[in-house]
Amino acid sequence: MNRGMIYKTIFIVFLIAFAVVLILPTVGEREMNIILKEDVSSEQIAALNSRFPSDNYQIGRSADSFLVKGYGLNDAVMNEIRTFPGVKDVKFVQHWAERKPISAKRINLGLDLQGGMQLVLMPNFASIERRLGRKLTNEEKTGSAQQALELLRGRIDQFGVSEPSLRKRESGAIEIQLPGVRDPEGVKRLIGTTGRVEYRIVNEAYTKAAEEWFKDKPDYKEKGLPTGKKELFELSKKISEDITLPDNLEIMFFYSRVKNTKRIVPTTPMVLEKKLSLAGDDIKKAYRGFDDYGRLAVHFATTTEGAAKFAEATSKKNHGKRLAISIDSKVRSAPSMNVQISTGNAIIQGDFTQEEVDTLISIIKEGALPVDLEKIEERSVGPSMGVGSINSGIKALTAALIAVMIFMVIYYKLSGIISALGLVLNLVFMVSILSWLNFTLTLPGIAGFVLTIGFAVDANVIIYERIKEELANGKSVRLAVSSGFDRAFWTIFDANVTTLIAAFILSQFGTGPIKGFAVTLSIGVITSMFVALYITKFIFELITMKKDIQKLSI
Amino acid sequence: MDKYLKFIQYRFIGYVVTVVLFIVFITGTVMNGGFNWGIDFVGGIKIIAKFDQSVTAPKIREVLRAGNINADVQKYGGDEVNEYVISTRLPERAAYANVYEGAQERAAEMAAAATGSTLAVTNTGAERIQALLKNNFTNVQIVGIDEVGPAIGDYLKKSAIYLFFWCVALMMVYLAFRFEFRFSVGALAAIVHDVALTFLFCGMFSIEINIPIIAGILTIFGYSVNDTIVVYDRIRENLTNMAKQSFMEIINRSVTQTLSRTILTTITSLIAVFCLYMIGEDVINDFALILLFGFSVGVFSTIFVASPLVYEWNRIKGK
Repeated sequence: MNRGMIYKTIFIVFLIAFAVVLILPTVGEREMNIILKEDVSSEQIAALNSRFPSDNYQIGRSADSFLVKGYGLNDAVMNEIRTFPGVKDVKFVQHWAERKPISAKRINLGLDLQGGMQLVLMPNFASIERRLGRKLTNEEKTGSAQQALELLRGRIDQFGVSEPSLRKRESGAIEIQLPGVRDPEGVKRLIGTTGRVEYRIVNEAYTKAAEEWFKDKPDYKEKGLPTGKKELFELSKKISEDITLPDNLEIMFFYSRVKNTKRIVPTTPMVLEKKLSLAGDDIKKAYRGFDDYGRLAVHFATTTEGAAKFAEATSKKNHGKRLAISIDSKVRSAPSMNVQISTGNAIIQGDFTQEEVDTLISIIKEGALPVDLEKIEERSVGPSMGVGSINSGIKALTAALIAVMIFMVIYYKLSGIISALGLVLNLVFMVSILSWLNFTLTLPGIAGFVLTIGFAVDANVIIYERIKEELANGKSVRLAVSSGFDRAFWTIFDANVTTLIAAFILSQFGTGPIKGFAVTLSIGVITSMFVALYITKFIFELITMKKDIQKLSI
Repeated sequence: MDKYLKFIQYRFIGYVVTVVLFIVFITGTVMNGGFNWGIDFVGGIKIIAKFDQSVTAPKIREVLRAGNINADVQKYGGDEVNEYVISTRLPERAAYANVYEGAQERAAEMAAAATGSTLAVTNTGAERIQALLKNNFTNVQIVGIDEVGPAIGDYLKKSAIYLFFWCVALMMVYLAFRFEFRFSVGALAAIVHDVALTFLFCGMFSIEINIPIIAGILTIFGYSVNDTIVVYDRIRENLTNMAKQSFMEIINRSVTQTLSRTILTTITSLIAVFCLYMIGEDVINDFALILLFGFSVGVFSTIFVASPLVYEWNRIKGK
């Protein structure tokens, strides 16, 4: 072996080892940490134990958590366990290969494999236009679609689904993917319930009392307010009792955005009048402008009906008070009122940054321009169906792998064993690249894998047939092997480029699962070329190193 | 090495087989009432639900008909579970949609007026079918739902057509660039042959054309070209090495030399697809079935369509 070949050996061994490490988080066991509530009961623990029978999972227990290790733990399982009583939170423990310096990623399972639901909603502009009695401009259309997206995001966050995906499609439709949701009706109810934008007057005296109430409860200062709907409701009930709130008032919470995120969290309590001053659709439009001092401000105009209500709300008796704007019962802004406005044109002043002004405008608009969403596509898959698909996919893959390997070994003998080895390597490389791309595997993706097994040996077949021809022409083994590989190169290249063209175009086809199929197929084509033209070629070089080799088992 | 098969001399047999195949498949498709477009393209609802053992398909149909829904109900999966696929196509849906959705929209608008709503999701038929099932049977479990609106179907159909167009165009450009124009023509004919026959195969055997089927057909597309190129590549090589021989002989030799490869690769691919067919379920099953068919006609078209056509083109141009 010369020096070049030694380097090549080291490179190939290293590459294979690296690929194997990369696939560990995907194919290996996964560990899930279930954090329990302090008051978890023994029945609730028993329920967890029976969910994860010890034949299939390794179970660990500590004071406040429950550790599960095994195969088949995915986001859907995580979301399922989250709904168990007595469970506070569920987290995955990172695989060692996922940590630095390797930072491997894993292949995710698509909704069709792990169960879950996909909804595609389309803003129904026609119905808004009917209500407004005029045509919408394109700008308004994009704007209202964006608002709908934001609103949906808020609602889905509240539902506590992990790894939700929300995106806008080119056509303007909104696609929502929720893994592991067992109650599609519940989700639809949640995202379908009408959100309300309301304008109500703040009762300053009681707001102060509510703020005082928190003073001697340092717990909240440290941990912040609870975010769950139920906990917040209970908290507001407790405060109401303690500060003896009259019946015409109620406690709500002021929400602010967590810096640099899309999440909003409750920060302080606010006491509002139950009576509405103004409803969301009383506002006709809102836009950015300046106040008399040249500061940024929000200008808005009400409808004729709204103007009367607004005049009443801003009458002298309310001067100095704040008007709270709430969306879905979350107070998002509370500007103070100084003058009576009866024209229906008003301005909200304050020390606003441009960003704040824009947020406020979008909040007002959310109430002003209601978006009806029409469901244009729904796909939901039960978890049992998903597991069935994975199992049959793996079976098909194994069967195809073994059958093709046997065929190659029978037909090509020793050379067949080399190509069988290449086939396994090809699979390892494919999985490692897809893991590294954080790919989402779907059922058609598995079909792409199975198909690749059939295709992958094509390069070997072309090369071997060529070598056989060269041998038949009377060339020596060494020469036949090297010219076989050389001549086959461009054939393989041209043939595979055309497959790649088809796969590339397929990947442009809108829907997710087909993209998955195209990506697996393309990567399979590329890795199979690499394995055939580099690694198996190297193995043949090693075999034919002996100068006087007379026979080749092919 | 000097022995080779006389493919070109016998090319007319191939032409006859192609024509007969097309006639049979077209007749079959027409007699079947055209293509069976699935809900991905025409829109509709597909619900898979699990029932108690006593429930049968006629009972489900009856319940749905009482609710004014004319759905197709079929047994799904193995005998050990009592699961059914309930599907409706858009034309059936449209029949009640006017009444139903109209009423619903009014209700939604009234609710909106009452609360100052900002968001209301209009529901379509899937909820109604589910409600009917849940009200009339005990222990209904909804295993899966697919509901596609008409807008999506049109969009997908359009993009599927664009796809084919782009695929053909790019392939032609690549072949013209790597080989010569006369090869492009033969490859195009082989592609059209394989893709059209596979489509007609779906029509003849009532295979529902959904998105996975389109993916399968594009795979056949790529595979067909792949097969053809290996032969063309050899023709190109032999053209430079065997300049003395006639074009017909060169083609015959090239097809013969690559024949073992063509057959072997098809065998390994068919083995893989066959495994998929045997083990995969439902959608994947149809997908595998058309690949089995498409790959088989792919071999035929490579040998009996793509290669002879290069010869024919050469003959016509040569005169």
